[in-house]
Amino acid sequence: MAKKNSNDRARSPSEAESDAAFASCMVATLPAETASAALEARILADFDAALVRRRFSPRFAAAKLAEGLRDLVWPSAPAWKPASVFALSLLLGLAAGVFVPATSTETDNSDQVQTVALDSAPSLDILGDL
Amino acid sequence: MNAGMKFDPDAELVARAGKGDRAAAQALMARHLAKLLTLARRMLGDRSEAEDAVQEVFLRLWTHAARWQPGKAKFETWLYRVTMNQCFDRLRKKPTAELEAAAQIADPGPGPDARLDNAALTLQVDAALAQLPERQRAAILLCHYQECGNIEAAEMLGISVEALESLLARGRRTLRTRLAYLKES
Repeated sequence: MAKKNSNDRARSPSEAESDAAFASCMVATLPAETASAALEARILADFDAALVRRRFSPRFAAAKLAEGLRDLVWPSAPAWKPASVFALSLLLGLAAGVFVPATSTETDNSDQVQTVALDSAPSLDILGDL
Repeated sequence: MNAGMKFDPDAELVARAGKGDRAAAQALMARHLAKLLTLARRMLGDRSEAEDAVQEVFLRLWTHAARWQPGKAKFETWLYRVTMNQCFDRLRKKPTAELEAAAQIADPGPGPDARLDNAALTLQVDAALAQLPERQRAAILLCHYQECGNIEAAEMLGISVEALESLLARGRRTLRTRLAYLKES
């Protein structure tokens, strides 16, 4: 019998594999834990509290505002689209302002001369033309 | 493993929970709570402390869910890593004497007739596990109890696969030496 056992040992997988099989077998005897209803309730209460905290944080408010603006400008588009269009138009506007020379200058070509009689009573008839 | 990285079954639930969807949070909890609790219980050796640890893990999840970026890492790997770190932190804070006492109380040792019912077997395996160094215990639990692959378990522990294999080999050998009498009986 002892000889048979030693033969069995010789045929068995390597020592490391045998250790692994033994560990698996032993660990498998351990029962799984079940979560209590109280723990689940505590965790969900944490979720609710975290949600409330997040809703009142300035970061969340800023993100919501940005999201609202984005939906106003370009509904259901990813944030980078309106942001990049805005940045591009800003760049174009700035470039035009800096590099494009002004074609017309404002000059006072009016021939009209306004005369005011200094001895007459001042008139403030704003609604006269209406 | 790679397929797992490509498709993360939790990604959608995490995104929804991040937007405040309570049903998604409940679904995430239903999927992972029992497994995490079991892991924490085996790591810490104490049910109430394991519950506190797992509650802390979920609190971190609720806080980070809105910023979760799918595709960067598998959600389950992140969750287990947070759990393991939580357990290691708590073990570090625990006085060593308390741990040793817990292991000794739980270990009834082999009886003269070595007659083992299931409860006694559980106690002895639990005690043998509790006496392992924490990293070896974590490696054994992740690979043999939670049935994670070596690569995944190494990621969860934040170590290389080689380091994990070394921890596993030492842990298994120690476990076998300590529980050898069970095999004989």
